[in-house]
Amino acid sequence: MEDSFQHAHGFLQTVVLLTLFLPLISFALSIIISYRYAWIVSISAPLFLLASAVCATIALFSQWNAPDVLMKFNWFTLGKDVFSADLLISNLVLLMLFVVALISFLVHLYSVGYMAGDKNIKRYFAMLGFFTFSMQGIVLSDSLLVLFVFWELVGFSSYLLIGHYSESINAGRASKKAFILNRIGDIGFLVCLMLVWSNQHSFNIIEIVGGEPSEWKTYASLCLFFGVVGKSAQFPLFTWLPDAMEGPTPVSALMHAATMVAAGVYLVIKVFPFFTPVTLEVITIIGLVTALIGGFSALAQFDIKKILAYSTISQLGLMLIGAGASMPEAALLHLLTHAFFKACLFLGAGAVIHSLHQAQRQAHAHFDAQDIRCMGGLSKKLRWTFATFVVSGASLAGIPFFSGFLSKEALLTSVWMQQGYFSAIVFLGFAIVSVLTVLYTYRLVYFVFLGESRMVKELPVTEIPLIMRIPLTILAVGSFWFVVSWSPFDFSGWLFEYSKTRAPIELTIGSSVIILVTLFFSTKIYRSGVAHTSDVLRNGFYVDSFYNKVSLYALTPIYRATLFLDRKVIDGGIHFSVYAQVTFAHVVAWVDRQIVDGLVHLVAGVASGIGSLIRSFQGGKIQHYVYWAVFAIIIFLICVLK
Amino acid sequence: MQQYLLSLLIFIPLIAAIVVLFVPSVFQRSFRMITLSASILQAIIFTIILSSSSADASFIIKEQTTWFSIDIGSWGILKAEYFVLLDGLNVSLVALSIGVMLIATIASWKETKNQKGYYALLLILNTAIVGSFTALDFLLFYLFFEFMLLPMFFLIGIWGGPRREYASIKFFLYTLLGSIFILIALIALYISVHDPSAVPGKLVHSFNLLTMADPKNYISNSILDPNNLWMVGPLSARTWIFLLIFFGFAIKLPMVPVHTWLPDAHVEASTPISVILAALLLKIGGYGILRIAYPILPDAAVELSWIVATFGVISIIYGALNALASKDLKRLIAYSSVSHMGFVILGISSVTSEGVTGAIYQMFSHGIISAMLFLIAGVLYDRTHDRIINNYSGLASRMPAYFVMVLVAFFASLGLPGFSGFIAEIMVFLGAFRSASANGLIHESFAIIATSGLVLGAAYYLWTIQRMFFGPFDLKGIASKSELYDLTPREYILLLPLAFSALAFGIFPQLILNWINPFAQQFIEAVLSKGASLTSNL
Repeated sequence: MEDSFQHAHGFLQTVVLLTLFLPLISFALSIIISYRYAWIVSISAPLFLLASAVCATIALFSQWNAPDVLMKFNWFTLGKDVFSADLLISNLVLLMLFVVALISFLVHLYSVGYMAGDKNIKRYFAMLGFFTFSMQGIVLSDSLLVLFVFWELVGFSSYLLIGHYSESINAGRASKKAFILNRIGDIGFLVCLMLVWSNQHSFNIIEIVGGEPSEWKTYASLCLFFGVVGKSAQFPLFTWLPDAMEGPTPVSALMHAATMVAAGVYLVIKVFPFFTPVTLEVITIIGLVTALIGGFSALAQFDIKKILAYSTISQLGLMLIGAGASMPEAALLHLLTHAFFKACLFLGAGAVIHSLHQAQRQAHAHFDAQDIRCMGGLSKKLRWTFATFVVSGASLAGIPFFSGFLSKEALLTSVWMQQGYFSAIVFLGFAIVSVLTVLYTYRLVYFVFLGESRMVKELPVTEIPLIMRIPLTILAVGSFWFVVSWSPFDFSGWLFEYSKTRAPIELTIGSSVIILVTLFFSTKIYRSGVAHTSDVLRNGFYVDSFYNKVSLYALTPIYRATLFLDRKVIDGGIHFSVYAQVTFAHVVAWVDRQIVDGLVHLVAGVASGIGSLIRSFQGGKIQHYVYWAVFAIIIFLICVLK
Repeated sequence: MQQYLLSLLIFIPLIAAIVVLFVPSVFQRSFRMITLSASILQAIIFTIILSSSSADASFIIKEQTTWFSIDIGSWGILKAEYFVLLDGLNVSLVALSIGVMLIATIASWKETKNQKGYYALLLILNTAIVGSFTALDFLLFYLFFEFMLLPMFFLIGIWGGPRREYASIKFFLYTLLGSIFILIALIALYISVHDPSAVPGKLVHSFNLLTMADPKNYISNSILDPNNLWMVGPLSARTWIFLLIFFGFAIKLPMVPVHTWLPDAHVEASTPISVILAALLLKIGGYGILRIAYPILPDAAVELSWIVATFGVISIIYGALNALASKDLKRLIAYSSVSHMGFVILGISSVTSEGVTGAIYQMFSHGIISAMLFLIAGVLYDRTHDRIINNYSGLASRMPAYFVMVLVAFFASLGLPGFSGFIAEIMVFLGAFRSASANGLIHESFAIIATSGLVLGAAYYLWTIQRMFFGPFDLKGIASKSELYDLTPREYILLLPLAFSALAFGIFPQLILNWINPFAQQFIEAVLSKGASLTSNL
């Protein structure tokens, strides 16, 4: 019995480690292969990810609902302190492992079609693999330090992927912004690490999350949440996410669904008991503010990808509201359903952009292939894409019979069950965001696919290749209600093991009605044509411009000042002292030449004067001798005779 | 033979230098081969030393003998020792020196100006550096320490860029000031310490650093007697001497505000010299503080720890801000060095096992990464003779392999996990923060303020990448576009080992932590216990 358990454990370990490391192997292979054989990468990378996804599936089914398993590894020892790199396998981890692996595989597959012909395909697939590896590291780690390592690596991979089109100046700017804003968030995480280390002397999450709330835990969890704010693009650090659309569209899909932004919410769920009541309140407030900002801003965008980006920001805010209302399971549920439908939406958007680009190239037409004002009526040409887009859009909008409806029900229930005015406000905000979601989703679908074509001229738009349609289809299927539970109106199904909680019947009916009514009205609103949008909303409430101003008007003077300090004050001081010394040396030299030497010369002059005087007595001329002798005698006589 | 390996390690380059001087200049090409073989021989000897030493807890290899002993009547006996030692503090730094000198030699392969003098100076410098890292007798250390100054002065002043005279004189003056500080401390310590192993009745003055570190060996009522403090102005003589040693080494480190020689020296020095300067010479500063200032004057060190920490934090932030303001790529890297060496000071000041380990790790890691950074700057300078960041754009498409190397170097330097810099910096942060609760030396806020250095670090590196590598390819007319070719095999040989080392020591820190651990433990216990017992004497 003992033996078979060990064996099973070893098997599990292998499968889990394969899930983690296969993407890394894909990365390494993509780096090593020479440029000449770059095409191999677009075959090998999806295969590696398929294998990884298969391993994750096996792990999920073999270990689902089994007791948690801790895989122990030591990273390094410092003195007596062991820094471990343990991996924890629980239901939460298995689920996330599976979703990340699956979506990453689908994105890889899609990218084969989307990125065909790109000259940096090697770098692209390498970083896609690395991105997945880093995210799986976050999913599995039980050490907060190791989690931080992967946390930063996720930021690094996203940096390179956002900046994939390196000829574009905007891509450089966007990737820099993404990394720096994430780094600012990471500082919070780092301070949390320091607090945890000096109070608990351990980074193992299992050991940290237990125990009573205390003051340092409030600080530490607030700092940790600041890291989440950066990674999950929450207010006030959300501005990098809309800009991150400069990257290739499949990357956006991966980033919004499974890796990058999901990492923050996942962390909140993973270490949930660590958060103290104060922090939970802060989480709720930030989540609400972000959800509202994101929802309103999404309403005003014209770029197809930016609409989706702001939508993600808004949905992440909703997840955090659920977590803040002490129901992390609800946040997880929405994270999972969101992963499917948002990946599908992004890949669908990518399909539209891809088709338009192809058509542009054939027809030599030029317009912004991402601007929804230049689209319309595409449903006739891109039937398959349209179908998947509508399904996933419906899920995002929270329409009954789709997964998004159920996960939002769960979130709404979590808020509903809280008491007090505060939660009433949150509930109201949540309702507003839900309405907004329906509005902007319908607006998006309508502008892109319905109505009349607004393109400059009729383009030969064709459906995307099969290899891109397969991922779309799988993700669209994953946007229906049955991924959550068999009943389309009850979220506590096989995923959500929280038997005590059921959505109150009035809540279910109420929200269904509100959403359907909003949908009805939005069909009326947007039928009337292109709506004008407000500048405030389109610029995301000017938070981004504010940062630009701050960095321009605050940071620049500071570093100019330090440069001045360096060049003028410190170096100036040194130059001054050197010049002073040299001047002093010149003075000394002058004194030496003029006074000391002068004195010497004077003495010498006097001596030589006397000498030449004396010498002149002895010139050797007889007349002189006679003259001086006579002179001396006269003097002598005068003296004597006186 | 076995017991002289350490001396062989130190003096092989000197022997090679003499050989170089005797070979006629007609055989130009032989000089670099001699230098290269000296470095390789050093590496072999070092491997033998490491493999032959038992891997026990306290890893120490030493050679000790009397160097000279002069009886000066009533002044006692002046005794200097030839005492060299390899332990947890310096073994990683010696390994680093050997590797970096090897790389610098290969990087000098195309040097054509007066090769004889160049390689002879390089070899003398090698001996001086390894000697400084291993000498445990203060006089011997001081000798090696001073001997570094001269070759460096000429290597910058003769083989440097357009403003080389200015830079080399500035370097010389700064370092000389530091040397004078240390010399004063050396004399003060020498007259206060006696050798306990001497025949009773005889007063033997010793330069042995281990003797100086033991409070029992101080002559009573001497100026540095810890039991009877001499006050000079507001501070005790011991505190003054600590400050002298600290600032003497801080100039080398370099620490703000005594750092301004570094950007100029780097900008004017040729690539291999910059590599040596950043990777090795700066480390002598941190090494000296760890080896001399803290163990010998622990009471002053403990008392002034918050001042030391303040200087560390200022260096981190000030260096990063100036890097942000730099337009010249080499100047930027030089200021980033200032910022990174600030972590060394902050780590030391915490006197926790994490902080001290982090400081040593940072010196080692910065040696690898800064060598790589300066080589990278050299790659561009070789091609276009221009280092102004804004004159480049879109290099990523033109030089993809170079872009990858720059990414590795920059991200390693900004402390991305997976590279050695991360381990070092996280250790420093953990140590500096825990110091308040562990030994009460420095406040938590030091660590928190220092974290802003990480954001600034990301900012200046990524801004540089954005300006130089993104966008359409352009050179703003500084050179024709055809002159910009991707990395050559020789450059791969230089950069790849460094990239892999930065990665290896970031993923498997245990590789050198096994060496550092015992030293760090013993260092902390010594400083804290002695510091506490001495301060309680007041």
